[in-house]
Amino acid sequence: MSDRLSPPNPDHLEKVTGRTQFITDIEVPGMLHGKVLRSTVPHAMIKSIDVSAALAIPGVVAVLTGADIVGLNHHWGPSLKDRPLIAIDRVRYVGEPVAMVAAENERIAEEALDAIVVDYELLPFVTEAAEALEPGAPLVHGNHEAIKDFYFKGEAKPVAGTNIFQRYAYEQGDVEKAFAESDRCFESKYEFPMVFHYAMEPHCVIASFHGDSLTLWSCGQSPTAVQKVLSRVFDMPLARIRIISPHIGGGFGGKASVKIDPLVAALAWKLRRPVRVCLSISESMLTARRLSATVHVRTGVRNDGTILAKSVRVLMNGGAYADTGPAVAVKAANRAIGPYRIPNLSLESVAVYTNTVPGAAFRSIGGPQAVWATESQMDEIAEALGLNPAEFRNRNLLRRGEHVRADLRPIDVEMGEAMDIAAQEMSRIKALDGDNITYDGTALGISDPGIMPVASVVMRLKIDGSVAVISNSVEIGQGVRGVLRKLASEQLNQPIEAIEVLTPDTAIAPYDWGTGASRSSLMMGLAIEDAARDILSQVAEIAELVFSADPAAVRFCEGGIIFGNEKKTFSELLHTYYGIDSGEIVGVGRVTPYSNGGRLAQAPLFWETAAGQCAIAVDEETGEIKVRHYVSVADVGRVVNRAAAEGQDEGASMMAFGHTLSEELVYQDGQPINATMIDYHVPTIDKAPENFVTVLIESGTGPGPGGMRGMGEGAILPVAPAIANALAAGYGARIRELPLTPERVWRAIREKRGS
Amino acid sequence: MLDPQTVSFTLNGTPTELTIDASELLVDVLRDRCRLKGTKRSCDVEVCGACTVLADGLPVSSCTTLAVDIDGKSITTIEGLAKDGKLSRVQQAFVDHAAMQCGFCTSGMVLATTALLEQKPSASEEEIRHFLRGNICRCTGYIKILEAVKSLV
Ligand code: FES
Ligand code: FES
Repeated sequence: MSDRLSPPNPDHLEKVTGRTQFITDIEVPGMLHGKVLRSTVPHAMIKSIDVSAALAIPGVVAVLTGADIVGLNHHWGPSLKDRPLIAIDRVRYVGEPVAMVAAENERIAEEALDAIVVDYELLPFVTEAAEALEPGAPLVHGNHEAIKDFYFKGEAKPVAGTNIFQRYAYEQGDVEKAFAESDRCFESKYEFPMVFHYAMEPHCVIASFHGDSLTLWSCGQSPTAVQKVLSRVFDMPLARIRIISPHIGGGFGGKASVKIDPLVAALAWKLRRPVRVCLSISESMLTARRLSATVHVRTGVRNDGTILAKSVRVLMNGGAYADTGPAVAVKAANRAIGPYRIPNLSLESVAVYTNTVPGAAFRSIGGPQAVWATESQMDEIAEALGLNPAEFRNRNLLRRGEHVRADLRPIDVEMGEAMDIAAQEMSRIKALDGDNITYDGTALGISDPGIMPVASVVMRLKIDGSVAVISNSVEIGQGVRGVLRKLASEQLNQPIEAIEVLTPDTAIAPYDWGTGASRSSLMMGLAIEDAARDILSQVAEIAELVFSADPAAVRFCEGGIIFGNEKKTFSELLHTYYGIDSGEIVGVGRVTPYSNGGRLAQAPLFWETAAGQCAIAVDEETGEIKVRHYVSVADVGRVVNRAAAEGQDEGASMMAFGHTLSEELVYQDGQPINATMIDYHVPTIDKAPENFVTVLIESGTGPGPGGMRGMGEGAILPVAPAIANALAAGYGARIRELPLTPERVWRAIREKRGS
Repeated sequence: MLDPQTVSFTLNGTPTELTIDASELLVDVLRDRCRLKGTKRSCDVEVCGACTVLADGLPVSSCTTLAVDIDGKSITTIEGLAKDGKLSRVQQAFVDHAAMQCGFCTSGMVLATTALLEQKPSASEEEIRHFLRGNICRCTGYIKILEAVKSLV
């Protein structure tokens, strides 16, 4: 089923020759260029904005400020309606859009920004989550308006008169009683920093109003969410808003839900001319980031290593606007459970507004923050009990079919198997390498993907046997077009060359929730299955009509259909049917909570998991950690494209090396002090481990075609705790705050030695 | 134009002459004037390598290179690597090893690799890692890129 021999991804030929059209490469006739003036202060009232000098610059066409949008439904948000299209009377973080210039070219627009004068009246600000919770803390928002079932199912639970925009709690068993009955209780606090997605292509959108319609070339991962927000803002019917999603240069959640589209559309609305706004990477850093978190974990165990109770309290810094933060907070709580039997469990999470860059979804929302804490603590407990960490985990591991949480779908993988494979692979690597100087660390991560079982696809079977697959699954590099091509080829039993996957365009592609949460291959795979059934039933009906075939006997074969001993090409079938040598059959595929006998409705649709094992060496002079070997293991159900699937896990793991070893967006006096690529360091190629092994278990137990499940996020989970666990195992130094910078590591080792 | 100047250079083998502003960056001249959009811009500050092109065979960051400074040089962009519809061996290796995902870093990565192999046809793994340190990829985790490059030495 899986192989490296499938024809190369057609996208790759384009990409390697520089021909792929990314959104930053598109030119729309007559388009202007927009640039954004951003707040330089963390929290202030806007007293006045003087744009006259900017407007006087030759080549400047218009300037948009908050004063222009008062007639629109100017506040929006995916979970709380807290965000203005552009600052109206108040700014809430350094980097918030305050004015926009449209000009003949980017240079003029950039120059004109300097000519705009904004007079601010400064307000007290807060950048730390703990401070934002304190009584008397500056309030980032006056009131909270949660919107229900808008993007995610359900609604946020803000607390009036505070900075809290989400509060979530879950309890099973009797936690306090279980703690009292435990032999030992362990309690610690773990810190996870704010980190930036840094998709290589900055956010870029082109918007164009024409007549009473609006077209957007969007970098958004969720075209239909963009469409919906714009429809509300401009009070326009959905059908008049068209979102086209070309190839996107990476997303990782930084382009999920809705980001800069409303801002750019507002400028186009004022101009009534097409306008392109392409942010710089520094501006993208001021657009979205991962929510930082403080995670308290308390675990009660018996001396034999049985976990009796666990309580997790998460505090998340959500920044100036809630964005998808409310969902992140819920997931952080759930993803802290781990693949363990915990009869008494208490989860609590709180997300607060602060005067910082808005927090948002980022690859496995809330997962890395949660798993960092709980999997670090697992090793700490094992050490205190004198148990081997793997043995301690094994003692508490859930088997396939057991419940992670009473109200969620039982776990559908064997985590013990993944952990064993990781250990075996690591031993193999080290033996081959002759390595006996590195220290190992292991961690396990499980996550409940927030997948709504809502998707649809259209497949158009042409008379010549070629097939157009039309969906809103956005190609952000994850290879979704290649996967859909392969699945359509399988379901229709046609050669892969016959299948063409089109660029997502809401004008022709049916509704889909969005691209993210490891859902697209799986959801669209199910939709393609359904669409293929639809096409088959139509061709069977036609075959009965024109060839008196038994419709129940009709099957697809290459280039046509077969029934009994007869074979007809699609051309023979449709030519006879339509009377001319033209035409097509349109199949529609749908996935809903009622699909597959309702089996998709229970959350989560599947468990996305990973086991990670690392081997590290530390330069004791500098404190620098070098990860020499890394093994990532996950049960993905079925591999559709091996190279692409491995690439997902390799990419996710390396991305985690960033938050583990070097990345952190730092605030001082309300200012992000390292929000440029010169000061903010993501992993480079010299940091890649010497040996990296990805093992993909194909258990065939996922809910998708051939037993596939979603993937692409899980591998990010175990990295940070695995590395910290290796550090503790090798040097006795336990660090509970990320990133594990050389300075922190050096100090921790010295302290340990000194004591 | 504030300060118009003429630059003459060879672009993917074709002699080219342009009148440009002295302050224009090479990346903008290539993308906007020459309509070669395969050169990407990401960090703008010579950190990520997405904008890498070859000037007389050496990699340069076109985001921080003034276009006037390439006068007399031979510039190769990603569009100039395939010859007669045939991928260069570096391009082919990247395809064979699936050494890309979103592809936004790919132009720069392929060109930097081309320059490396030109200088050191049998570069060691360490040399590869050192040389490509200036090319960031956020998608692949570099593993398949290393495999692709190592297959060429
Ligand atoms: S854009 Fe030139 S080095 Fe990053
Ligand atoms: S493939 Fe996306 S940045 Fe390298």
